[in-house]
Amino acid sequence: MTVAQFIKAFTLWEFLKAHALTLKYFFKPKATINYPYEKNPLSPRFRGEHALRRYPNGEERCIACKLCEAVCPAQAITIEAEPRDDGSRRTTRYDIDMTKCIFCGFCQEACPVDAIVEGPNFEYATETREELLYDKAKLLANGDKWERAIAANLEADAPYR
Amino acid sequence: MPTVKVDGQEIEVPAGATVLQACELAGKEIPRFCYHERLSIAGNCRMCLVEVKPGPPKPQASCALPATDGQEIRTDSEMVKKAREGVMEFLLINHPLDCPICDQGGECDLQDQSVAYGRGGSRYDENKRAVTEKYMGPLIKTTMTRCIHCTRCVRFSEEIAGVDEIGALYRGENMQITTYLEHAVKHELSANVIDLCPVGALTSRPYAFEARPWELKKTLGIDVMDALGANIRIDSRGREVMRALPRLNDDVNEEWLADKSRYAVDGLTRRRLDKVWIRQTSGENRGKLEAATWDDAFKKIKAAKPGKDIAAVYGDLLDCETMFAAKALLGAMGSTLIEGRQSGMTYDTSNLAAVNFNTTLAGIENADAVLIVGSQIRHEAPLLNVRLRKAVKRGAKVFVVGPEWETTYPATFLGNDLGVLNSLSSDVTDAMSKAERPAIILGGAALGRGALGKALALAGEWNVVREGWNGFNSLHFSASRMGGLMLGLAQAGGMADLIAAKPKVLLALGSDEVDFTKFPDTLKVFIGHHGDKGAHAADVILPAAAYTEKSGTYVNIEGRVQRSEKAVFAPGDAREDWTILRALADALGVTVGFDTFEQLRAAMFADTPALANEGLADFGMALPAGGGDASGEIAAYPVADYYLTNAICRASPTMQRCSAELLHGQDFAEAAE
Amino acid sequence: MTETFINWGMTADWAWFVATICGILLIALPLMLGVAMIIYADRKIWAAMALRRGPNVVGPFGLLQSFADGLKVFLQETIIPSAANKGLFLIAPIITFTVALMAWAVIPFNSGAVLADINVGLLYILAISSLGVYGVVIAGWASNSKYPFFSAMRAAAQMISYEVSIGFIIICVVLWAGTFNMNGIVIAQKGHVFGFLNGFGFNPLLFPMWVLFLISGMAETARAPFDLTEAESELVAGYQTEYSSMSFALYWLGEYANVLLMCTLNAVLFFGGWLPPVDWAPLYWVNGFVWLLLKILFFFFIFSWVKATVPRYRYDQLMRLGWKVFLPFSLLWVFLVSGYLMATGHFA
Repeated sequence: MTVAQFIKAFTLWEFLKAHALTLKYFFKPKATINYPYEKNPLSPRFRGEHALRRYPNGEERCIACKLCEAVCPAQAITIEAEPRDDGSRRTTRYDIDMTKCIFCGFCQEACPVDAIVEGPNFEYATETREELLYDKAKLLANGDKWERAIAANLEADAPYR
Repeated sequence: MPTVKVDGQEIEVPAGATVLQACELAGKEIPRFCYHERLSIAGNCRMCLVEVKPGPPKPQASCALPATDGQEIRTDSEMVKKAREGVMEFLLINHPLDCPICDQGGECDLQDQSVAYGRGGSRYDENKRAVTEKYMGPLIKTTMTRCIHCTRCVRFSEEIAGVDEIGALYRGENMQITTYLEHAVKHELSANVIDLCPVGALTSRPYAFEARPWELKKTLGIDVMDALGANIRIDSRGREVMRALPRLNDDVNEEWLADKSRYAVDGLTRRRLDKVWIRQTSGENRGKLEAATWDDAFKKIKAAKPGKDIAAVYGDLLDCETMFAAKALLGAMGSTLIEGRQSGMTYDTSNLAAVNFNTTLAGIENADAVLIVGSQIRHEAPLLNVRLRKAVKRGAKVFVVGPEWETTYPATFLGNDLGVLNSLSSDVTDAMSKAERPAIILGGAALGRGALGKALALAGEWNVVREGWNGFNSLHFSASRMGGLMLGLAQAGGMADLIAAKPKVLLALGSDEVDFTKFPDTLKVFIGHHGDKGAHAADVILPAAAYTEKSGTYVNIEGRVQRSEKAVFAPGDAREDWTILRALADALGVTVGFDTFEQLRAAMFADTPALANEGLADFGMALPAGGGDASGEIAAYPVADYYLTNAICRASPTMQRCSAELLHGQDFAEAAE
Repeated sequence: MTETFINWGMTADWAWFVATICGILLIALPLMLGVAMIIYADRKIWAAMALRRGPNVVGPFGLLQSFADGLKVFLQETIIPSAANKGLFLIAPIITFTVALMAWAVIPFNSGAVLADINVGLLYILAISSLGVYGVVIAGWASNSKYPFFSAMRAAAQMISYEVSIGFIIICVVLWAGTFNMNGIVIAQKGHVFGFLNGFGFNPLLFPMWVLFLISGMAETARAPFDLTEAESELVAGYQTEYSSMSFALYWLGEYANVLLMCTLNAVLFFGGWLPPVDWAPLYWVNGFVWLLLKILFFFFIFSWVKATVPRYRYDQLMRLGWKVFLPFSLLWVFLVSGYLMATGHFA
């Protein structure tokens, strides 16, 4: 240990330098945003809460092809299907267990009709676990609620798909 | 034996083989849509193109080209690759690419082959062809826009089923596959065209949109809807059997399956017994069934103090294990009163060769003269009818004693009266006695009327058992029959013996066809899976497993021992049959000598060693002499309604609709979608 | 205050009793309020140094955040692990909290404004602050859980190690002040350096002792960088792992009350307590309590500042620092200070 090191150690020089640095940052502008009042812009590819979309005429898009169910790595999607009265292929059950979902986006990649999408909403915290077990009605309601944002995002991202 | 070179590999092929077969022998995969091993060659899909030298400098359809000596075949050349890509692109021009809503998705030849051999893109910009849907009955759902005109379905109807129900209208791009007048396809093997269809044009209507192939658990099973023991694959999801498909077994069902076997599975989730029920003997609910516990039920049975006054009737769908467990239970109680011929038939079972289908299913194809006595073969064993049709196509003559039915091949009906056997016309006796491989098929209607002796006598007269050939056949239509007979579960007097014994307790093992009113003072315990006739008459109902819900051994009409695996769990409180019988043994205070399924099987094999080995059981070639005259009028065949023969079928909405529409002519026709 | 109550007509005993109760409330209630605000301040300072915003939603500038947290914690269920020793488990946080408040009895807030003006005040504080570790050790044991137990072991060792050096540091102060009475120590610092700087801390001989005291104080209160007892990356939440609801909150309050006490001791022992920093008449126009408060806040800022700056010590480093650096150094300094005082005839 040299004399200089000895002096440095006993005068706590490095500690003082560190504290000077943190004090400097103490007065700097904040790097974070004021979250609930300000929000960062989201990418059109942002993968948030799921939604089932409808066609403009109100017909649900989902055709129960079960590709999302097959591709889901977390096995969070459960689908049951049967012919609707008009003979078209529709789901009778479309459940997503949001507690299982890992938000990989494979479901929306797999969907041939852009029915299941991961929308821009990420603020859907619930008070109970059960509320996170989404059923078809909830997903369709999400789709109705976020349709404009989802459609805009899909359009923005379309050239890169 | 021509020798050809496939991709430089020299192989010898059988005479008459096609180039496609030669390539397959060499281990090369040739894509195809129209070609099918069991159908005639059509050569219209062009997918099987290969390069052949010597020959014109263009790809050739390998399925229709005979392999000749010195041919040089290439399946891997640039020309072949380009040809396949071209054909695939043409096929996809008019194919709608609606795979996401197509039930064939995931098990589609067109999907698979376009991935393997296609270009991955199309240059076609014009409008696609569209075809209106065709109504093909309650089993087949059509989406004819998807059709690629391979004509497998047309060829199946004509060649295998033997009915001209499906055909093609118009030419070229306008060609349409249809049932001409859009009536329902009526024959019993109609649903096989669904398996044959390489695309999603013909799909299963009851199974429409229900599941994807990748979701299904596949279990190897044996069918019990008729006595042929067709090999099936049970596809299940969760606790529900979604569908049954045929498995390849050239000895039994080739690759076909009768409609009932295929579609009765939706009856497995309906009208099920999933609780223990006891009929109340006092109180305000007197005479009504009330839900109870297993303990209550066992107590009630014990209270009847059966001792050795216990009997059992086994139903048509039972596996050997259940029957053996019942035999062991009754044996421990000191009784041997078990019978399975619920309708009261009493034919002699001392020599099993006399009640067996000795010719075997595959063997009957080689018969050159067949006398069918008292059997509506299309309803009693649809797959046997396919074999007989093959025999007839090879030149066999067929004579039938019994009411007329619509055969799918030329046959001579000799009248309803069994007495005709006593004085057969000369053309019959000539044909039979001069035939190289004569066969007699004795159906349930004949067995029930005591014609076995006369038939055996005729067999002796015509010498149907000869070197390499046993032409004497009894045809049962109950899946449990041969197994039960092998286990020795038959009374000399049939059901009458049981009635005469007046047992205190009668175990009805899934037997729905028994006349229970003949057992007025007996505690009737029904151990079965469906709330049908048997459960209706029972005093105690113990819920058991259906054939998809237990592992079991089945013996088909030709004495073939086959094993089935458990696909799903029985619903609710229902248990596998043998466990119920085992628990009942405890309740009655006797030991049956097995605690696990493995022990049960071991005990069964020890009791009846023939059941230990899968495959044909050997009953010997020696037939009893027989004798006596046959008499009696066959007014109707035992299978009154092909689609509603057992409890599972009767619970199945699909079978009910088939019965109403196809047999009773009720009109369900839907407007084309 | 006792006289006031006597004048109101109480007997002397009753008056003393009521006055003491009032005194306790006068200290404890503002202290609790202060703890709430100091938690808020701690989070704000820490956040600012990390370029974050800190609590900013509840109330203006998030000032009410601590009260919101308190309310939330109050409404939660108290979960007692089935394997825990129930009695000890519940009593442990009460010990920590009570002990944290008890030390404040001898702190002089202004000239003569002290609840118990006992002449061994400093010894009392040493004794009480040593008791604080019992709450932690009992919690660790009673939880019947792995990590709380580790934490309790660490806490016991850590407290002992640093109390030794704190003892020697205090001896230096006491030698110079010549009294254990806290008020006496404050008064002893009046004009201590050059005749106008109020505070032992300005004395070059005692300044290193203040630095040692500051650091030991952090170790004694288990503040960062010495927060090994609740090192969340190793021990989940240390001895608090199994605690929830108000029992958890009591630890939280007690901990910060202890931190405030350490800040106060820094001010009282080394920087003249309620005296203004410079012995200059106009500064005495400001109330002594305000001076003390300002000094406490300044030291608390240092505490937060250090927390935001220095990473956590490893356990062996903590022990090395306590036993191999602070102990010999403070021992040496006791020798130096007493030698100097002997030489200058301070005790004469």
